[in-house]
Amino acid sequence: MSDSREGLPAQRRWMTVLQKVGTPLVSAALAVLVGSIIIWASGYDAGAAFAALFKGSLGGPKQIGDTILRAIPLIFTGLAVGYGFRAGLFNIGAEGQLFLGGLAAAWLGVVLAGLPWIIVVPIMIIASALAGAAWAFIPAILKARIGAHEVITTMMFTYIGRYLVSWLVIGPLKAPGQIPQTVAIPPEAQLPRIQELFSAGTLEALPFLQLGRAHLGIVVAVLMAVLVWVILKYTTLGYENRAVGFNPWASETAGISVQWTTVKALCISGALAGLAGSVEVMGVHHRLFDQFSSGFGFTGIAVALLAKNHPIGVIPAALLFGALSAGAGTMQFEADVPQKIILIIQALVIFFVAAEEIVLWFVRRRQKEAMSHAG
Amino acid sequence: MKSKWSKVLAVLLALMLLVAFVPGCAQEDEGGETQEPAEETPTTDVKAAMVTDVGGLGDKSFNDLSYEGLKRAEEELGVEIEVLESKEITDYESNIDQLATAGFSPIFAVGFLMTDTVAKVAPMYPDTNFGGVDEFFDPVPANVVGLNFKEHEGSYLAGVVAGMATVSDFDEKLNGDNVIGFVGGMDVPLIKKFEAGYIAGAKAVNPDVKVISLYAGNFTDQAKGKELGLSLIEQGADVIYAAAGAVGLGTIQACQEQGALFIGVDADQYLTVPGSGDVMLTSMMKRVDNAVFETVKAAVEGTFPGGEIQYFGLAEGGVDLAPFHDFEDAVPQDIKDAVEEARADIISGAITVPEAP
Repeated sequence: MSDSREGLPAQRRWMTVLQKVGTPLVSAALAVLVGSIIIWASGYDAGAAFAALFKGSLGGPKQIGDTILRAIPLIFTGLAVGYGFRAGLFNIGAEGQLFLGGLAAAWLGVVLAGLPWIIVVPIMIIASALAGAAWAFIPAILKARIGAHEVITTMMFTYIGRYLVSWLVIGPLKAPGQIPQTVAIPPEAQLPRIQELFSAGTLEALPFLQLGRAHLGIVVAVLMAVLVWVILKYTTLGYENRAVGFNPWASETAGISVQWTTVKALCISGALAGLAGSVEVMGVHHRLFDQFSSGFGFTGIAVALLAKNHPIGVIPAALLFGALSAGAGTMQFEADVPQKIILIIQALVIFFVAAEEIVLWFVRRRQKEAMSHAG
Repeated sequence: MKSKWSKVLAVLLALMLLVAFVPGCAQEDEGGETQEPAEETPTTDVKAAMVTDVGGLGDKSFNDLSYEGLKRAEEELGVEIEVLESKEITDYESNIDQLATAGFSPIFAVGFLMTDTVAKVAPMYPDTNFGGVDEFFDPVPANVVGLNFKEHEGSYLAGVVAGMATVSDFDEKLNGDNVIGFVGGMDVPLIKKFEAGYIAGAKAVNPDVKVISLYAGNFTDQAKGKELGLSLIEQGADVIYAAAGAVGLGTIQACQEQGALFIGVDADQYLTVPGSGDVMLTSMMKRVDNAVFETVKAAVEGTFPGGEIQYFGLAEGGVDLAPFHDFEDAVPQDIKDAVEEARADIISGAITVPEAP
């Protein structure tokens, strides 16, 4: 999974890049193919279904905006899970860290009301990252000190986080009224929609800017993906992260503290997941309530898998999942295909990505066998 | 080589099974939607639609009930109907958008979680009418109607049944302690309406009855519901009314274990909670289907009540008591008569049911 091919000659390097980019594309294409067989076998018109899916996700600026809107939280959770994977850690609890990030943003947005956005927005974003990191810190310490498996502990902390938020929105932080939710954050604490940044005249002249619900969170998300990529590729922090993921024993021998690296990796992963919560609160819901995340932390695992844990790859992977989600509504409306079929297609994407790993494993084993025979 | 092909075969088989399995689940969703309107159905160009919350169809509660209302409108009024399910919260706005763009009106948004979305989208489509089920708007946009219910009126009838049953002996689970219980979800004004109506109804027919009310603090914790139920039974309660969502399911268990009668809420829980018939005396139903149907009817007749918050009570068929089902023969006629009397008095205005205890 990790990069250890820096020393390869240029041609081989291009082949690896091609392989890395090509295989997820093939996986996605196969998923669409099998998906259409399933839709057809279920008695629906597969052609109409995919036409509607395309129309609803990429058919116009508004639809593209909807795809972007749905991809934003997935970019963050995909980065979070991917960063953990690169250190050999499976942060399955991104969902819980996301809830804590959302909580921090929703709370600070109200508390800091009155301050200009240039101060409020950065504070909210940083605080939600810290909240996510804090939520990952205890599982990280448990992993580093006593070896408690992070799959168990981060998952358990997801439950704690979810129910904590549940309790807060029906209890201490509940807004007046019947609905269990917090008070809405003021406009200066919100991430505006992209089309709100331009005048009506500009939008008329450049219709592709009418991106509907897509908000500025996408800029934060892309910047963060680039930042994570730079960290992984060019910093000591990232190098240690990758080294531990690749071979913890060798890293230890080489003088890298595996424990400390584990703690840092999980906390950074948690911070990225926390950001997902804050962009959802600041860009979409403008408040916090029980079900404000639709399992973005878990979908992030799939996004990271499809992206092969590459920070830049997470962007197209999240956009693909966003497009599937955005197009599902139109598919349901125009082709009468139940929206939940889209979940099957998403699952198939994962299946074929995983299947490719299985195939590669067979190939490598055969190569090893051949080598041992030759030897 | 041989083992490799058997693996390929296995994968193919698995895929075929998957393909064979899917039609079964998928086509279920379709049911009813494709029904052709009967020939004598009147025609209208009104197209009514609904957007479910993430609970989706099959929730045996508000989403299904709203859909029932739409289907009735299709059969009786000849309107074209459409239902879009939401798989996540982000879908609310895009689904409503989709339907509004396609010319559907009225569009029903089911559940209070969609309140913000409706308030935001409605001004963008001034020519489209919206109905918010269980949604309250302040101020109410001119093209929106909030559909709410007079839960206290239905609860009054439940109170009448409980108040009389506890001093009756038609079932062995009834003791002579003259105590009845109430389990609430959250201690909020909405649930207080249930409690107030229940107490008023019970006291009206049985002034000495002791009503104990306990609150779970949420709508989901079944274990808490059971605990509260056991505690009520301990204190002598033999009829318990729960207005507490899934918490009530735990209370049903407590009633079954310790022997008490239960009054359900929202839907006819005799039908929606299998195996509860031995303790399910009746249920206080919120007739979301009627509210949706009446609103579509108003739209067809050109009298859509936009800009209003509507309250559906006994008179409007918005709340009602479910049949006694397994207790139909056991329940004495005087209880049934008292319920009918109370119903008539509330509808005529002779009784005004309090909304707060």
